[in-house]
This record gives sequence, C-alpha cells and structure tokens, in this order.
Amino acid sequence: MTDVLDHELPFPEPGTAADAAFVGIGEIPSGKFPDRTFMGALVEVSARAILDAGLAPRDIDTVLLIPCLHGGRDQADLIFSRLVEELGLNGRAKSSMMIHSGGSTSDSATRVAAGLVASGQARNVLIAQADKWGSAPVTEMVDMLSGFGIPREWEVPSGVTFNAVGGLITQRYMHATGSTAEEMASVCVALRQWARLNPNAMFKDKDLTIERVLTSKMISDPVHALECPMLADGAVALVMTSATSARRNHDSWVRIAGSGGTVSHYSLGQERDLAVMNWPRAGREAYEQAGWGPEDVDLAQVYDSYAAVLAQGLEGLGLAAEGEAARQFAAGRFSPGGELPANTNGGLLSAGHTGVGGGTALLAEGVRQLLWRAEPERQVEGATRAVIGGTGGTYMDSQVMLLERVTR
Amino acid sequence: MTAEPIMTDLTVDYYESLGRGQLVVQECGDCGALIMYPRYRCTECFSSNLGWRQVEGGGILHSFTIMRLGAPSGYEADLPYAVGIVKLDEGPQLLGRLWPGEDGTWDDYVCDARVTFKSAPAADVASRPAPWFERAKS
Repeated sequence: MTDVLDHELPFPEPGTAADAAFVGIGEIPSGKFPDRTFMGALVEVSARAILDAGLAPRDIDTVLLIPCLHGGRDQADLIFSRLVEELGLNGRAKSSMMIHSGGSTSDSATRVAAGLVASGQARNVLIAQADKWGSAPVTEMVDMLSGFGIPREWEVPSGVTFNAVGGLITQRYMHATGSTAEEMASVCVALRQWARLNPNAMFKDKDLTIERVLTSKMISDPVHALECPMLADGAVALVMTSATSARRNHDSWVRIAGSGGTVSHYSLGQERDLAVMNWPRAGREAYEQAGWGPEDVDLAQVYDSYAAVLAQGLEGLGLAAEGEAARQFAAGRFSPGGELPANTNGGLLSAGHTGVGGGTALLAEGVRQLLWRAEPERQVEGATRAVIGGTGGTYMDSQVMLLERVTR
Repeated sequence: MTAEPIMTDLTVDYYESLGRGQLVVQECGDCGALIMYPRYRCTECFSSNLGWRQVEGGGILHSFTIMRLGAPSGYEADLPYAVGIVKLDEGPQLLGRLWPGEDGTWDDYVCDARVTFKSAPAADVASRPAPWFERAKS
C-alpha cells in the first residue's frame, strides 16, 4: 500500500485555543415514538447539550445540522435555519449549515466544527441531529434506500436494497475470515447486552440470544431479520468549543487527538474488497496523528449497521486481529466486562438505527464515556481514550476520530 | 424506475449492448484503460476520448446475496432473487443479477466462484437494464 502519510499534518497543540473540545451532550431515548415531534426532539437535545456545556443559548455562534432521512420537508427546514429560530438564536448565530455524508456525518461534522474552532471562525458550535425513522412508512424508506446512494444507471436495475448491501458485505466477510453464522450472531448479542444497560436504547428491555437470531427469517443471505438494524426515532446533540474556553467551565472535556479517513467508492459494485473496505488506511492516518495506537484504546464506538461492518472496522483499526473480530465477539472480548468494550450504547443494531443519527449516537456515547458520565453499570472505568469509526452510504468511506479525555 | 433523468449519454450504448445480449465496458482511446462503471472522463488519464469494448463475460464472483424479503417496489414478484459483484477477467468489476441453477436455487454459488455473463431476454433488459451472470460450467 502506498504511504499517504508523507505530508506534514499540522494538528492543534493540546490545550490551546485551536484545540477543539467536546463539552456538552444532549440525548433522548431511541425507539418508536410516533407522538414525539421532529422539531420538539431537536430543540430538546439542543437545549440539553447547550446547558450541559455550561453555556447559555446565546453563546452558540455556529449551528451544524446533521440531516434527517425521514422526509425532505423537515430536512429543508433544517437547511434553511429553522432550528436557529426555534432556539431563539436568530440575530446572534453567525451561521447555520447542514453537513451530510450519510452515516459518517457525525465524523464529518466534528471535523468541520474542529476546523472552525481551530481557525477562529467559531467559538461555540452546536451539532444537532433528530430523526423520525422509526415512525416513517417502512415501504417508503425501503424504496428511498434502494434508490438513493445506489447508482441508478448501473445497480438500481438489479433491485439492490440496503439489506442486500449488508448481505453482500457479510457474505464476503464470512468467506474471507471463516467466521460462522453463530459468531456473526454473537456480535448482535453482545450489542444487545450493552443496550440492556443503556436507558436510551431502543431494545433496552429485550434480551437476545444466538438461537433467536439464527431462527429469525432470512432476509438477504446470510443476514437474518434480527441481524438487520431496526429503524428508530432518535435525537442527539453535541457542543464543541476550544480547550481554552472548556477550561473555564469544566474540570474535564474531550479532545480530538487524531483523525483519518478514506472515501473508497460510491457504488458498492466498485469496492475492491468488501471484507476489508478502507479502515486500515484511515486508522493508520489517525493513529499517526495522535501518537498513540490500538493498544492504548479503552473503548471503541464503530459503525455497526450490520455485524460484518463492525467486525471489519474493528479489525482494520487494529482493535482485533485480522479476520478474528467476530470470533472475539463470540468469546466476549467486546461485551460488558470484556477486554475492549465496543459500542457501549448498544450501537445501531440494538440502540436503534436513527438514520444519519446512528453514527452520532455512537460518537456521543464515546464522549460520554470519556467524561465518565455513562450510567455506572456500563461506564468503562477510567476510560481515557476512545476510537470512533463511521461510514456512510454503501459504506463509501471509513472515517476515524481518536478521542481523549482531558482534565484541567 | 428510471423515469428521472439519468446520464443518458453514458447509458445509451451500454443499455443497447445489453439489449443485444452483449456486455461492454468503457475503453480509453488514449491510455487504454478499461473502465466500469462508464464515466465522462477516463479515471486514469482524464481523457474524454472514450469508446466501448465488448468483454468475454467471464469473471470471479467477489460476493453475492439472495434477496428473500423486503424487495424495492416493483421487484416483489421477483423474490427470491440474487445479486452479485463480479470481477471481470479484463479487470473492471460490476454488480448484476445471478441466474439460479437448474434446481431453482443459488446453492452452487460461493464467493470466488467463476461466473459468466448470460444475458436476460431483450424485453427484460429493456425494462430493467441489468447484466446477468450464471455459474460457469466446470
């Protein structure tokens, strides 16, 4: 592989005004909440995140919106600054804009927010997301996901759905690694164990076993119904500022130690290796920037719309030996009490797939863990370093954010 | 299904070949690169001197899946059906549909198996311009 890291990457010195910091989180439960309104959810998590950051609404000068997938009108409302008005920031906010890269949007938005802070173009950034995917008409959403993000000239005529995309990736991953159906199912079971500890998770009240997974209907071989993510309503917001500002209001905050990414395809049919994607290259870039490696990681929050997507992410980021992630899930390595906690909120598969918000929830949980503010039964004790992995579209990109806890 | 405007200038020749039972890929007239999916400029040298080359149709099945539930609207009657990603012997790769075996299943298919292009009838290709592949006879 060619070395992509031979250029100098200037990165902010820790603790400086250019060093971006996560200082606030707001989240409400994921699941099916037909009576919860979209804007109500968005305002609620935004308010919680801003107050959590120790700020007043008027302190927010930049609003970065993560798109919703349940409908175009609500998305248009966001693009055209509706949230600014709903929060009473009109006349104060410098800019409001939407960032969109599908499931990796939270990584992209974080990167943009950090860049704006580092260059002095923003002081306090609100990143906000809400979706009503769980309450949207299922057929409409299946059609949307079969027609958008899949090339209509070349692949739509074959009748590809997102579960087919998951099936194609899983089939290749199992072939390449020799992982068994039981081992793949154990990934879903481990995530459910985490979800049972998360009051915000869609499936917090439902146990899952390997047997139940494997006896559920086959949807798109080798993926069973209980291995497909359940569309959910959900909302989460984060506030970022500079380290110098964070130090004024907080005893601890979370900084970005490094980031890496690779955009590898638009059409799944153009991806060279469905079992690997581009995690190794993205991870190398991020670790080099951070100056620490996989062996230093306390927890991982990696995109998991299907078990194979998570398994290949963990392997590519050096958090599991090549081809071994599913087997290590089966052995409990990533479960509560395991050696390397992964997706401690339950992930998309068990906390709920809130559209573009699934990745945002993973990121928020990573920040929460590093702030030592998860509920005690799932808090990773003494966690100081987390890996966040995101991917969007038909797993078009591999995005990595390395986060670390900072104390005053 | 394809009612919205698409890249007609790129699809017209490709679809027309599929309709004649032939699989073509794009070929750069300057650097000779074979390109899939068809592009406006060569993805190797940015030339716009692009033509077509018919391929043999043989390749390796990188991965596949059998859709059993939850088809997009208009595809419900096709269930179950299989799609796969094929790496052609000439280099380019593409996604298409897979013919079931004589027993009506896809049990013969495994990753890295050899497959060959075998077109669907012209009328089917006209409504759904997809390339179809079958398991190569060993």
